[in-house]
Amino acid sequence: MPDVELRELAYARSGDKGDTCIIGIMAKSPEIYGHLRAAITADAVKEHFGDMVQGEIEIYPMDNIESLAIVLRNSLGGGATKTLRFDQTGKAMGSALLRMTIDVPPALREEAQQRTIAIEGSPNGPK
Amino acid sequence: MRRVNIGAGSAFWGDMLEPAVQLAERAEIGYLGFDHLSELTMAILTRQRDRDPDKGFIPDIVPWMEACLPPARERGIVLTSNAGGANPRAAAREVAKVARAAGLGGTRIGIVEGDDLLPTLDRLRADGVTLENMDTGEEGLDRIANRIVAANAYLGADGIIEQLQGDADVIVTGRVSDNALHVAPIMHEFGWSYDDEHVDRIAAAITVGHLIECTACATGGMSNMWRISDRTWQVGFPIAEIAEDGTATITKLEGSGGIVNEWTIKEHLLYEIIDPNNYVMPDGVADFTSVQLDDLGGDRVAVSDVRGARRPDRAKVCIGYRDGYIGEGTIWYGWPDALPKAQSAARWIERRFEELGPRFEETRIDFVGINMMQGETAPIRDIDHNEVGLRVSARTVDREVAEIVRKEVTHLWTLGAVGSAVGVPPRVRPVIALWPTLVPWEYVDVRTDQVVVN
Repeated sequence: MPDVELRELAYARSGDKGDTCIIGIMAKSPEIYGHLRAAITADAVKEHFGDMVQGEIEIYPMDNIESLAIVLRNSLGGGATKTLRFDQTGKAMGSALLRMTIDVPPALREEAQQRTIAIEGSPNGPK
Repeated sequence: MRRVNIGAGSAFWGDMLEPAVQLAERAEIGYLGFDHLSELTMAILTRQRDRDPDKGFIPDIVPWMEACLPPARERGIVLTSNAGGANPRAAAREVAKVARAAGLGGTRIGIVEGDDLLPTLDRLRADGVTLENMDTGEEGLDRIANRIVAANAYLGADGIIEQLQGDADVIVTGRVSDNALHVAPIMHEFGWSYDDEHVDRIAAAITVGHLIECTACATGGMSNMWRISDRTWQVGFPIAEIAEDGTATITKLEGSGGIVNEWTIKEHLLYEIIDPNNYVMPDGVADFTSVQLDDLGGDRVAVSDVRGARRPDRAKVCIGYRDGYIGEGTIWYGWPDALPKAQSAARWIERRFEELGPRFEETRIDFVGINMMQGETAPIRDIDHNEVGLRVSARTVDREVAEIVRKEVTHLWTLGAVGSAVGVPPRVRPVIALWPTLVPWEYVDVRTDQVVVN
């Protein structure tokens, strides 16, 4: 199975609550969600972010909206008002997670491309 | 079935005014809520109030009310705003001046206060309330006690509802939860109380409040839909149409810019929550894993099936304390060899900081254009970059030490590699660190008042 950047399979948005960053990952289809729910584990996310996340990682599946809420504790340099990070509120962390690569069957990658066209009206993703 | 329509007019101090005015002038809404506060803002406003008893609120409330109050009064829209900050009473005086100047005698201005726990901290400590820091687990305030500048509870809808029952036309509050600004009118309109019968419906109101409280963030701003989010310079702020059974539709003003679809609502449902099974607000707990969304097309998304739990027995309180200073500066290098030049400058800074001695609490180096936004997840590409910035920042105990950072970055201009620019380094800024904690509600005394404009 090919490694595919999460960017192709899902949308992401992130933000902060104190020193905690929360990333929402929205799968582009129910089938993709099933795959991501199994593939995006706390260990995999921890490995992806390395030292950027100092605390625990929790992943909350949301089957109702085919999404994952990913909680990164102690990941924002002490919180927005105190951090030395330029991205004080962790808005870029979701995009950073979209770099993660996932093993997916070719058919699922094809489906993701079709879904992107259906949602955004054009293929827009990576070349 | 009875319905109430609510608009969101502001998400933060600095949000756009025009979309709020459009809601006041054209939208079929009964209520328009304005959030102007953040954790840092409360600390700044508290310090302003302590220096001047007529200050300590968000000054934007004046132009916002000048623009929104006349159409709102004419159309019977009730305005709610937490721009009162650390001084809702002073803010209400300003709103009264606006109303008088606009010829709106008889306008009733409600005031909600009681969120300020600065005077209560000693009693909390004496009573042995642990005041555990929710971020770090640290207990007790001994380490920071002499540096505390603000302590505010996030109030729920109670005080606002009291003023709505008193027929207020505008309600100005201190630190209520952003969410409560929208939960209050829903509970008031439908006569819901905090009992078991209404738990799920209050959870629905909390969900609706969450979806609209960041204004454009639900209507195509900050969005994965950025390619197809139309004319966001003319963005429409969100409108929630809620029915008495707790079902709702999120939409925006017809003809306005932006987009409302399945994805803009999903990305906002997920935004800045922690455990989606328990989204805890002062008015109740919403289970976002129960929510059903239905994209109806035409910038309308239906929200239903929300379940929840009763309101928590403790208030969230945010304590702000002085925690030193941050100094920073950025120097830019252009092609050729922009990255090696910036890397060389980073080594220079590290050596200088060593020679100056260990005077920093924390330092950080970013390569702008390379890894500043996404850190070590971003691969460094093997190309001759057009330009790379070296951003140096440090947190210090003393202001003078923080000044060192921009001085040293400026030195690099003449001492580092050829072809650099430093622009104007930002000023040193004081740090207000935050200590989020929980306090039993019995320590929080919500009070309301009303003034009538003559």
